[in-house]
This record gives sequence, structure tokens and C-alpha cells, in this order.
Amino acid sequence: MGCLAAGGLSGPDKKTFIAKQQVQVICREQRQPGCFCSLFYCCTMKQHPAMLIEWRGSGEIRENNSRRGMVHVWWSNIVSYIPDWPVFVQAGATLLIPVVLYFTHRWFRSVVTNGGGSSEKLTAATEESDSLLTGDYDADLDSIKQAIGSNDDLHFREYRVAELGIRAALIYIDGMQEDQLIDTQVMQVLMGKGDFVPEVELESSLPPADRLAAYFRQRILPVVEMEEVQGTQCLHEMVLTGYTALLVEGMPSAILVGKPRGKTRSITEPTSEALLRGPRLGFTEALSENTSMLRRQGRTELMEIKKYTVGNTLKRDLAVVYMKSIVNPDLLQEVEKRVAKIDLDFIAESGYVEQLIEDDILSPFQQAQNTERPDRVINALMAGRVALLLDGTPFALIVPVTFSMLLQSPEDYYERWMAGSLLRLLRFFAAFMSLMIPSLYISFISFHPGLIPTELAITIIETRERVPFPSLIEILVLEVSIEILREAGVRLPKPIGSAMGIVGGLIIGEAAVQAGIVSPFLVIVVSVTAIASFSIPMYSAGITLRMLRFVGMFFAAALGILGTILFFLLICSHLTKLKSFGVPYITPVSPIRLHDWKDLFVRAPLTLMKLRPEMMKTERKRRKA
Amino acid sequence: MRNHRMLMLLLVVGLMVTQTGCWSSKEIEDLSMYIGLALDDGKPTPTEQKLDKQGQGYPKRNLITATVQIVPVKTGSNNQHEKGAGKGDGFLNESETGDSLLQVMRQYSLRRERAVIGHHLKVIIISTELIQKQSIDKLMDFVLRDNDIRPSCITLLSRGMARDTLVAGHSGEIPAFKLQAMPRGHFRTGKIMRGVNLTRLDSLIGSKQSFILQEVATSGGEAEFSGAGIIKGDTGKYIGSLDQTDVQSIAWIRGDIQGGVIKSYDWHDEPMTYEVEGMKSKIIPRLEGDQLSFQVKIESEGRMIENWDVEEDPSKAEFLKRAEKVFEDTLLQMLEHLLVKLQSKHKVDVSGFGKQLSVDHPQYWKKVKDRWDEVFSQTPVTFDVKFTITDYGSSKK
Amino acid sequence: MFTRSDDKITTSQAVVFLTDSILGAGILTMPRDITEKVKTPDAWLSVLLGGVVILLVVWVMTKLSQQFPGKTIFEYARSIVGKIPGSMMSLLMVIYFLVIAGFEIRILAEVNIFYLLEGTPVWAVIIPFIWTGAYLASGGINCIARLFQIIFPISIFILLLSFLLSMRLFEIDHLRPFLGDGLPPVLNGLKSSILIYTGFEIVMVLVGHMQHPEKAVKTMLLGAGIPIILYVFATMIVVGGMSISAVLRSTWPTLDLLRSFEITGLFFERFEFPFLVIWMMQMFCNFCSQFFVTSLGLSKTFGIKFPIVLFALMPILFLAALIPRTMNDLFTLGGAIGYMSVFLFVLVTVPLCLIYLIRKKGLRKHA
Repeated sequence: MGCLAAGGLSGPDKKTFIAKQQVQVICREQRQPGCFCSLFYCCTMKQHPAMLIEWRGSGEIRENNSRRGMVHVWWSNIVSYIPDWPVFVQAGATLLIPVVLYFTHRWFRSVVTNGGGSSEKLTAATEESDSLLTGDYDADLDSIKQAIGSNDDLHFREYRVAELGIRAALIYIDGMQEDQLIDTQVMQVLMGKGDFVPEVELESSLPPADRLAAYFRQRILPVVEMEEVQGTQCLHEMVLTGYTALLVEGMPSAILVGKPRGKTRSITEPTSEALLRGPRLGFTEALSENTSMLRRQGRTELMEIKKYTVGNTLKRDLAVVYMKSIVNPDLLQEVEKRVAKIDLDFIAESGYVEQLIEDDILSPFQQAQNTERPDRVINALMAGRVALLLDGTPFALIVPVTFSMLLQSPEDYYERWMAGSLLRLLRFFAAFMSLMIPSLYISFISFHPGLIPTELAITIIETRERVPFPSLIEILVLEVSIEILREAGVRLPKPIGSAMGIVGGLIIGEAAVQAGIVSPFLVIVVSVTAIASFSIPMYSAGITLRMLRFVGMFFAAALGILGTILFFLLICSHLTKLKSFGVPYITPVSPIRLHDWKDLFVRAPLTLMKLRPEMMKTERKRRKA
Repeated sequence: MRNHRMLMLLLVVGLMVTQTGCWSSKEIEDLSMYIGLALDDGKPTPTEQKLDKQGQGYPKRNLITATVQIVPVKTGSNNQHEKGAGKGDGFLNESETGDSLLQVMRQYSLRRERAVIGHHLKVIIISTELIQKQSIDKLMDFVLRDNDIRPSCITLLSRGMARDTLVAGHSGEIPAFKLQAMPRGHFRTGKIMRGVNLTRLDSLIGSKQSFILQEVATSGGEAEFSGAGIIKGDTGKYIGSLDQTDVQSIAWIRGDIQGGVIKSYDWHDEPMTYEVEGMKSKIIPRLEGDQLSFQVKIESEGRMIENWDVEEDPSKAEFLKRAEKVFEDTLLQMLEHLLVKLQSKHKVDVSGFGKQLSVDHPQYWKKVKDRWDEVFSQTPVTFDVKFTITDYGSSKK
Repeated sequence: MFTRSDDKITTSQAVVFLTDSILGAGILTMPRDITEKVKTPDAWLSVLLGGVVILLVVWVMTKLSQQFPGKTIFEYARSIVGKIPGSMMSLLMVIYFLVIAGFEIRILAEVNIFYLLEGTPVWAVIIPFIWTGAYLASGGINCIARLFQIIFPISIFILLLSFLLSMRLFEIDHLRPFLGDGLPPVLNGLKSSILIYTGFEIVMVLVGHMQHPEKAVKTMLLGAGIPIILYVFATMIVVGGMSISAVLRSTWPTLDLLRSFEITGLFFERFEFPFLVIWMMQMFCNFCSQFFVTSLGLSKTFGIKFPIVLFALMPILFLAALIPRTMNDLFTLGGAIGYMSVFLFVLVTVPLCLIYLIRKKGLRKHA
């Protein structure tokens, strides 16, 4: 380290700083290790007085010999290293902007997470009003009529139970009762004569009120699905969802005899996750069918299904499915805790559940995987994950999710391992491309022409000659129109959709090049990006990458390749912080779990995958016997 | 209150966005690239002289005339007043005279609407006339320092005007690309030197020893590699040239022949040709007391590829033995000829003897390093050549 | 336990952490720095010898830290020498790491502006990096270690690939004569070759954060060994590819070497691009680890909350990075950091070890 004073010689001119030799000549032998405690930059000033050259902004050079002069020079040297005021302003900005961002972020997060606070009281209030049926037939019937009788599709069928001589009523919603069942198994039995005479003789009299329901259930009604309800609130709900209720005189409860007959869709192939090879089975909207589909995947006593009711006003069933003695109990507990916390008046789709139980609401990455495929769910369960199935949607949720899962397809396992591995590598590559290519394009075209091969650079210059826009605008124009096209294509019916694709993709692209709005090279870039993003098997993950791509483009437009790298680092930093139900999002890459690498970039032969994923910390580790 | 704060924040963010961003952003279509640079002795071109007369000059000494080859030429507009040749060929040559290379480069901006960048400079050609006056160290200073120019660009010498080499060539071909690609022919003939890129040049200049650079000659609109120019180490100036055969001989000494031929005449005075398949050479410095001598051992395997002598049967062992001897003699003659040229005429070492000495006898090398060229010219060198003809191609005749 | 929230890193993370903390700006300038001193092609030998010295120091530091499992230097310094001297030592360390962080980020900015972003102001490069670093560091040592684990394999791969591709320029003659002038020049270079390994002091913080501190010695030696091997390799390749005379004349010799060839046929025909990319990421890692340790030290020494320190350090880092005015100031600072490293060893590590040993012996006598 030389005389720092001499450093000033080269001045602020950018070109001159390479001229290191000239300064080093002056200060070569002036090496001094000392004085670290003072300001480090100014510490090496113990030089020969004659050597001290003072740097002033104007470049005036002064030599000092006297001791007083030396102190003065020393001081002014320190002063000269104190930056100008704009630097301090910038330093202030360095502090201020993150602080502002931090508080905005905190404020936003608190707003988002506390949004449901008020409704908690509401549920408490509604629960209190739930009263029980009295057993007084007229009073009960009146109260029901009062509460829900204003529905015109609600029907009351009053009649008399022939043998017992008591009054009864069937309450149902028009169009949702199962006529056949009610007619043959309920009405006929109750109104008919003679069939159960001996029993009446045995009983000799009417059973007491509290045993009446049991009596009906055990002796009279030959129906499998039957449920007893005592709360009026509950009864109202059940009736309105389509159950047929039987109200009997003197019985302090109602019996639900018929299940709602709602129309369900037939099982079809999942459209969002089509496979060439693999089961053609997809979930439907009915929870019972979905759980039964899971049960039918194989015989086991390990699979457990627990039901929760979610939604405060409109209630729905949510099933938590897991493999007992595989899943980590802590994970299960965490999932149950979060499910129990769900507080919203209506859960329309499993997307609601996903958003209500996720770890980081401000992350662009999804923290639960949604799927229509039972085979995917069952595979996840076997790896020690937990599935959440909501009534009314064919999309099941799998938690926890890791980044690598988003780029995997069940087909990887169904095809032989080499093909599976190659396809998986291809997808990783495609994901990287769809995220980075536009930013790389901008940084190359607008910032670093020196990094492109010469011939390519010449071609690009020639093709871009007529394009009047900077690359950012150019790429935004095309990217945004592709996004619009994609959005439009989803909405339109299939035949028109493909026609749209041709018109949009081919004709507009060609015309845009002809008109000189974009360069042909860009059309290639954008279409490669679009194709790459289509190859991501998870639709939601594709959206994430599409969204981030635009962010990356702005980073690149500001700082070129440095901006692109910053963007990449930022995403990586975010991913390292992100956890899905306590599992680091990018494991097994980091924290590194080499065992799990068998199922990361490549899909090892099945015989080699002896263990369940290490990251899930499963109870039973081995896959093989 | 909150609204005011939000407003302020928006203002700050707005200022940041509008006032910053995209500092270094220069769209690629607004740039041109110079891919070739020719340095000639400072003689202003006629256009420049005219401009100077109109008082358009700036204070300078006319030390060098730099010609750059710019691609691509803007196709849309018809620039009729372009100077230099090569118009319509997809490239454009521009000349400018001055004494600082960077200033000269920047001077082009006065004439062209597009900025010119140096990232893609492929080849630098220096005329021997210039390098006789200016040391190579000075001429190359800028290109070595510049942050745009990549050290991968190669350096050539030109016997005539350097800028002519950037004109020559078939139409449609960009001369700089051609010149850059030509050293790749090194694997076909030893007469082409390995391309000397700027890093290598930097190291050659820095070592203060003499070295050679490939020369280009132009005739009839065609540029051709021919021989090499010798740059004297201590002065960095050009002192003379070697012809193609000498270049090949140097390659033999250095063991740097990848695929070459040796043509010779047999005892019936018919041409026959030896194609080198593989070779090894070793320079052995011998130091006895203070007496230095070199022995060069060259071994090569190859094939008899052409034989005009219909009388002889190349598949016969004795013929091959005789032929080997003939080829060995031819190479020996070439080497002797080179040695005479180096030791007597130019008095320099450009064929790697010094490097080998420094490896084997570093202490002695330290003593003679500064006057190595003189020492070398008085050092005896002996050659030891061994050829083996391993096959005779696909014809057995 | 399914969810972990402790600040412990695994053994492999510790290795990568240490490697990334050492591997920084040095790789670009180191071949010249050492060759300037050695003046023979044996520079790589100096680098290797320097590495051995560093390994010894790392061993001492690890041994010392192992006596206080779960504690970093900022905590155990106090329990060895008392509160005030211990805090002083911690403060010295903190300042040292702060200066390194500022230095690294400035070098990054300078190289960037010189080769890639001509015309961009320095602050525009530095500030986003500080912010990104702060964002990462706010996640604690675990997040940093995880990021390192992602980046490390990529950068090692590209680094080795760059070196392999540079082999086309490699000439063994450039590395000869081997020990032509004997050992003295090598020893002469040793002094400055120790300086390129700055940042290894982080060992004294890392050991306290390890999940298995009993494996610390092996881990830390490996973590320090990787950069040593890479540096030796880099020196050999650069000197062998360029020859010492060109290395001496080049400001950024490693980059110059990579810029002196083009691989036609590849989309990146210019290999300095991937190299610069991974180098920038490496610098980011290096910067982050110094940044993290600085803030950790400050928060532990003065008992301030970690996020507050993080925020407060951002402008300070920015100022520290902008204080050198010219390239020469910067290189001088680089040298100064090396000397500070030695100075810290003499002033912190050695006294701590000695006092600890004396105390331990004293205790044993009493007992």
C-alpha cells in the first residue's frame, strides 16, 4: 500500500484509473502496515513529508516540508476522503427506502392477515342462537316454518303414522329429495298397515319420547343413511341443502332420511393436467366421490380421512387426508391447526383454502400444490405429505410443497427412468428460459453488445435498424400481447381458441415485423419464451414465472446484466426464506439432502429410491420392505 | 396527514424513476462496430486535408493514420459521400490521422451518426513503415488498455499500406473476418503462424525479447499471408522480414508444425512431397563453462503423399529410406538458411532459443537476458533431424 | 422436530459458507498481486504456501471456538478477557468485516462499470446490491447458507469450466523454470499471498453456529481448503496462459485471460460473460457473509436488535464503499485489509488463545 496522497493524481477520469503504474512508481516503496484503528483509509499517511502531495479538486499540487504543514496536509487528506454531499444524500436514500419498504410491507402484511378479525365475533353470535327441538310437534313445525318457511320450494308433507297413531311430517326441498326412496321406504312403511303389528304388540304402547328416535331407527325405517338432528339451526341447514327430514310427534329430534339428490358430473379426464400415460381419472366436484376415488387407489389401513367444516355462512366439508404412520405428526398437527383457523363466510374453491393457510401471503410462489389427479395425491401421501380435499371442487391441495415439485409430472415416474429424467431436465431448463430469456435479451441488446458473437451482432443490428423502440418497449409490446392472446385463448371455446392462436401468433407477429414495430429476432425470443412457459406442468407455477418475467425485464432495463443477476439473486434470496409448512421451499437443493437428489433433476430408477423424501421427515423411512 | 406523506413518497419515487435508470443503455441498432483496425504512418487522407484547409482540424501531430473497418453499413439510406473503398460491400473503411488512438477513434463520431464500439475488433494490422518509426509498445498501448477491445483480437503486420489489406478481397467478403480466420490454416501449413492475440502480444512486448508477427501482403486486391516481420525486443521496432519458408522453419524448431508439407526433389530431379503427420522438436541448450551452444532435435513421422517419380516404387523400404534422407536434407537446408538469416543478417532470436535457455539455465539466462540477441548471434546451433515415412497413402504404385 | 427455527447450519453449509466468505475479489487480481512480488512463474507456490499458513490459523481459531460451543467470538471474547476488552476486540472484528464488505462491493462496482456498464454511476450499482444483501441477511444465517448452497455449485462449475477452456492458451513453458531463482522469491510473495485469503476470520463466528461443532475442525479446514485450491489453480492457469510479463501488465489478469479467446459455435462465444456472472454472484455471497457477520457482531456486542443494525449498516456500508476515490486507493485498501487481517490475528486471536490457556491451567491448579 502506497502513499494515498498520490492516489489523487489520477483524478476521477475513468480512463486513467487503469494507468496504475504511473502512480505506483511514486509510491512503490512506501509500504506501511500500521494504524488500523483510525479511519482505515487515511491511516497510511505516515509518509515522508516531501512525498506528500495534496490533492485539491482543482488539481493544484503543493509540497510541504514543515511539520505544521504536514499536520495540515494530513488533515486535508482525511478531509479529501470525506465524500461530497450527494454521496451522503445517496446514503440517506440507501437507508430510507428500505425502511419505508419495510414498514409498508409490515403494514400491508398486518392488514392482510388481520382482515378476518371481525368475523370471529360473528360466528360466536350465530352459534349461540342454536336451540334444540322441543319434541312438541306443532311448536317445532311452526318454528321451522317461521324460520325457513318463506322458501317457496320448501315442502311439508304431513301425515299420520298409521300404526302408532301419531302425526309426522316430511320436510324437503323440491327437486332435491329422492322420491323413490321416500315413497317406498318411508311413506309406505309408515302409512302402510299390518307389517309391523307384532312389534307394536310387544311394545304395547308408544315408547317414551327420548327413545322414539332410536325406535324409529332400529325398528321401523329400512333406510341405510339416516341421521338424527336435534338443533334447529342444523336442521334448517340440512333441509335447505336437500336432506329430507322426518319430524315425528313427540320426538325431540328430527331424522334425516334421504340424501340430497344433486346432479353430479361424471368422472372425466383432468383437463388441466393431461397425461399421455397414466390413469385417466380426475377428481369431480363431490367430496364423497373424491375420497372414494382415493380409497379405491389401493387397499390400505393407513389412509385416514378427517373431515372439517369450513365456511361460516355457507358451510362446506374439507377433508384432510394423510397416511397414518408415514406422515410426520408435527406436520399433521400444523395442517390441522391452520385448517381450524380458517375463518371466512364461504370457501368457494380450494384456492381459498390455499390462500388462507399459506405461510407467506406476499410471496409470488404458491405454497400448496393443486391437482385434479388422484394418482398425484396418492403419490404425495405416500411421500408423507398431506392432502386437503374440499367439497365442490375437483382441485385437491397438497402440502407442503417444494419448488422441485412444481416442475415434476406424474409421467416422469410412469415412463422409464431415462426418459423421465431427460424430460425433467428439459423442464428445468424451460422454466429457467421462460424466466430469464427476455431479461437476457434486453441486457444484451441494450447494454452489452460486446457479449454477443460478432456475426449475430451484425445480424441483429441489421434487423433492428427499422425498429424505433428501445428493446424494453419492444419486448413489452410483444410479451403483453402474447399474454393477452393466452388469456383470450383460455376464455374462448376450443375451435375458436386455436384459430385465435393462429391469427394472433402468426399473423400479428409477421405483421409486426413487417411494420417495423419489432425485430424478427425478438419474435423468436418471445415465442421461445412462451413455448417454454407452456411446458411447465403446473399451471399456477407457470403464472408465477410469467409474472416474475416482467419484473426481471424491468431489472434488466435498469442495470443490464447486473440487474438480471440481481433479479436472480433476489428470487433466490426469497426462495431461501420461503417455507411451506416448515419445509424449506428449495430443499433438497438447499438445505442439501443428497438422498432426495435422486428425485430432483433426474428421476432415479425406482429400485434406487428406497427411502421416502428426507425433507418430509416421515415416520416410516423405507419404501421397500 | 397520511395522504400528504403518500404524496411525498410518490413524488420521491417518481423522481427516482424518471431521473435514474438506463444510464448505460445504448440500443444495439444505434451502434456500429469496428472489426478491423489498420495503423499506417501518419499521412492525412485527401478528405482530411480538404477539411483541414477549411479550418476543421484540431491540434495534433500527424503520427498515425488509423483506418477502421465498420460494419454493418446502414442499408436504408444511400450515403453517397462515403470515403474509402469497400462501399456497397457491407462494410465501410474510415481513415483519420492523429496522435492519440482513442482521440482518433472518438473523432469518427464527428462523421458518423452511430457510435462505434470496439468489442468486436477482430484484427489489427500495422504497416511495417509505421512500426519502423514507432515502437509497438506505444502503438498497442491503447488497445491493451481499452475496456471494449477484447484481447482475443489478433495482430498482423503489413508490408504495404495497412489500410489496403482491409480493402482487398472478393466482393461480399468482409476483409477483417477473412484476415481473422486465416491463421486457423495453421493446421494445414507451417507457413502460417499461430495467431498472435493481444494477450500474447502483451506478454511478448513485456518480455523485452525479439519476436515475429505474421505479415500480410496485398496484390491485385487479394491479401495473402506471407512471411513474418521481426520486432526487435529492446526497441520494439521493426527491423526486417522473414519469408514464408523461414516462418515454416521456425515452426519446425519450435515444434509447432501441425500439418505441413515438405517438398523436395529426388535423385531423378522429380518432385516428391512429404506430409507431416506428427512431429516433436526439442531445443537443448548446452552450457560448458561460459560456452553456450544449442542442439535442436527434430523428429517427425509422415507419409509420402506425392511422388512424380514414376520409376520408383514407394512401397519399397529402401526407396522410403532414401526419400527420408532427401527430406531430412531439405529441412536441414531450410533450417540452416534460417539460422544464417537470424544470426548474421538480423542478429535476433525469434525462434524460442532464449525461452528454452531460461527454463534450463535460469541463472545464466539472467546474465545474458538483456543482450540476448547479440549472444545468440554468436552461439553455435546444431540440428539433428530424423524423419520416418510411415505410409504412402492409398496408392501403392 | 419438523419446523426448525434455530440459527444452526449443517456441516456442508458451513463448508460452503467459509469458502464463499474467502472466495471474492481476489480471483481477478490475485495472480498479478502475487506475481508482482514473486517476479518468477512460481507465484502459485506462494499461493499454496500462504494457504498452508492460513489453514494453520484457521485450525487455531476453530480450536479456540470449539471451547465455547454455540457461542461466537462476539460472545466468548467477553467471557475470556472480560466485558470491556472483549467488546473492544469484537468491535475490531466488526470494523474489519465492515471494511471488507465495503471493499468487495466497491470492487464489484468498478469491474462492472469498467467492463459492462460504462456510464452507470457507482451508487446505482452499489445500492441495489446492498439492499438485496440486506434482504437476504435479514433471514439470518440459515437463509444465507442456503443461498450459498444454491450458488456455490453453479459458480464452481463455471469457474472450473472457464479454467478448462483457458487451457487452450496454457503453455507449460510459461510456468517454467520451476524454482529458477530458488525459494527466496516464493517466500517474498508469501507475505502478500496470505493477504488474499482475507475473510477467513469468519471461522470464529461460524463454529458457534454449527449444528455439529464437534466436526468443526475438519469442516473449517475443508472450507478454507477449497478456495486455496481454487486460487492455486487460478494462478497456475493465468500465469501459464498469459506468461508473467503479460500478467504483470494487466489490471485484471484473470478476465484478460478469459477475454483472449472466443469459442465459436457456442452461443456464448465469449466466456467472460458466464464468468463475470458467477463472479458477481460470488461477490454477492462474499459481501453478504461479511455484511451478516458485521451486523451480528454489532448486535451482539451492543445488544441492539438485529434488524435495526441491518438497517443502520446500509448507509454506513455505502459510505465505506465510496470512500476510495481511485482504483489505486482501492488496491491500496485491498492491501491494507490484508494487513488488518494479520493485525487482528495478533491482537485478537493470539491473546484470546493465550489468556484462555492460562486461565484454564489456573483453574486446573485450583481444582
